[in-house]
Amino acid sequence: MIKWLRMYRLLIAASIRSRMEYRFNFWFSTLMAVIINVVEFLMLAVILLKFGHIKGWTMEECGYLYAVLTLSKAIYRTAASDVHHLEKYLVGGDLDALLLRPIPILLALMSQNFQLKAGELIQGTAILTICMGVMIRQGQMTWTAIPLTMVVIMSGAVLLFAIGLLTATAGFWILRIEELQNITEDAARTAAQYPMSIYPNWLQWLLIGGIPVAFANYLPSLYIVRQQMDWWIIPLSCAVAFLVLGAALAAWRVGISRYQSTGS
Amino acid sequence: MIQVTDLQKQFKTLRKKEGAAGGLRTLLSRDYQVKEAVGGISFAIEPGEFVGYIGPNGAGKSTTIKMLAGILHPTSGTVSICGMSPHRERRRVTRRLGVLFGQRTGLWWDLPVKDSYDILAAMYGQDNRVKETRLAQLSELLALGEFIDTPVRKLSLGQRMRADIAAALLHDPDILFLDEPTIGLDMIAKRSIRNFLKQINCELGKTILLTTHDMDDIEQLCKRVMVINHGKLGFDGSIDRLRSRIGLPTKIRVCYASQVPPCGSLPDTRLQLISQEGRTLTISCNREELSAMEALRLLEQLGIIEDVHMEEPDFEDIVHQIY
Repeated sequence: MIKWLRMYRLLIAASIRSRMEYRFNFWFSTLMAVIINVVEFLMLAVILLKFGHIKGWTMEECGYLYAVLTLSKAIYRTAASDVHHLEKYLVGGDLDALLLRPIPILLALMSQNFQLKAGELIQGTAILTICMGVMIRQGQMTWTAIPLTMVVIMSGAVLLFAIGLLTATAGFWILRIEELQNITEDAARTAAQYPMSIYPNWLQWLLIGGIPVAFANYLPSLYIVRQQMDWWIIPLSCAVAFLVLGAALAAWRVGISRYQSTGS
Repeated sequence: MIQVTDLQKQFKTLRKKEGAAGGLRTLLSRDYQVKEAVGGISFAIEPGEFVGYIGPNGAGKSTTIKMLAGILHPTSGTVSICGMSPHRERRRVTRRLGVLFGQRTGLWWDLPVKDSYDILAAMYGQDNRVKETRLAQLSELLALGEFIDTPVRKLSLGQRMRADIAAALLHDPDILFLDEPTIGLDMIAKRSIRNFLKQINCELGKTILLTTHDMDDIEQLCKRVMVINHGKLGFDGSIDRLRSRIGLPTKIRVCYASQVPPCGSLPDTRLQLISQEGRTLTISCNREELSAMEALRLLEQLGIIEDVHMEEPDFEDIVHQIY
């Protein structure tokens, strides 16, 4: 395990050095990501400022939901960027080179084309700090919420990674996965940025039982922010995250054996 | 060292549906098209052998190599590399293997060549001293010094191929799989690569399996040749036996100074007429039976020769003659 972590760090370092060969592109793409994030959050903020709340969720509470999810996603995409881009490897046969190395393929893939999601990390942290600050001062939550929130962010990152990996693995069967990713990763995550009570019942159940992104932020915050649920929702959320991860890893192993490479 | 038994690989592809919602119907259908890339081949390779693996495009060469290297999982049959299965024990097998795909690099594209070696050494758990000695040895053999600090993307093809060969050898594997290591290189670069490979085989004692489209590679390097076509092994034996099987078919085009009479019969039965256009005759002969000089002497009997053009047959022709 330690060995693999060291290997991972080494490969990430190599990946950063590669990217730094194209400095302009590196900084420009980081800047663009920041702008996109700010615009996205402004939309949410405009709605909140206009109405004051969404279905009984105050501005700080909505900000909390948004920030927790943003941070989870940023951690997942920073730590495992090219899992999201597996399609490129399957269609182009680039997985060949990774399979020739004496390290787990997933580790090799995760360390390719490292991208620090700096924009999302900074913005997420800022919003989270502000919102939690307000809520602690108002007595809506105590200091214990801070470590709990960190656990929720990490477990959410594992969950989003697991969903992403499961979706990518489908590529071993269907090759092109972009459309599928639009639904399982992008649409589901966008939906989870808002309080789930605004959605019809069937959609709520889909986001709990189907693509369980509700466990990344909404359900845990029902306990941390609103005390509408009991403490067990936190360990349950972690359990769900690791369960999906286990399923994804199992599927991945089967998927690898179906890899078809390309003609040369 | 390498043991392959009844190895098969089939690729299943969904048959595409036409028309509206064709994509969706394709996804839901079970209408597979099965293409057999490798259809039950068996062979064994002993330590220290240098084996050529040839065949036309799409014959199943790369698929075989990819199954041996653990990239593809066979549909049926078994592969054993040093007693291990490359798809079940992929990570352990990769330690015993050096693999080179001539069309692709295994190096880090944007980093200096040296960095790639550092990363690879770390992956194989080589300590620094072993790595440096090994690198010094390879550097001398492959003349890496001139470009070791250059990013891979700036190397010439010949340099890149040498860098890739060194990368495949860095962890001191017993076996090398080389998939078209001379593709796209000029004559000089080809010659130097061949020399390296010869040394790697003779001096370092590596077992090498080489696929190529270049007959010269095979003639100069391999003692044993395997020919694959349509996924089946058509020939497995020494280069001499292959030569006696196909001979040395040669095409000679002779242009005469004056019109030659239309000749139904050539001066010798070992010459065959392919075509005649005005003053030009195209003739085929087998240089195993008839040397080029002899053939010309015979053809001179028909008239004064102005120009001669000789053609070695292309590779695909040779392979087709084996069947």
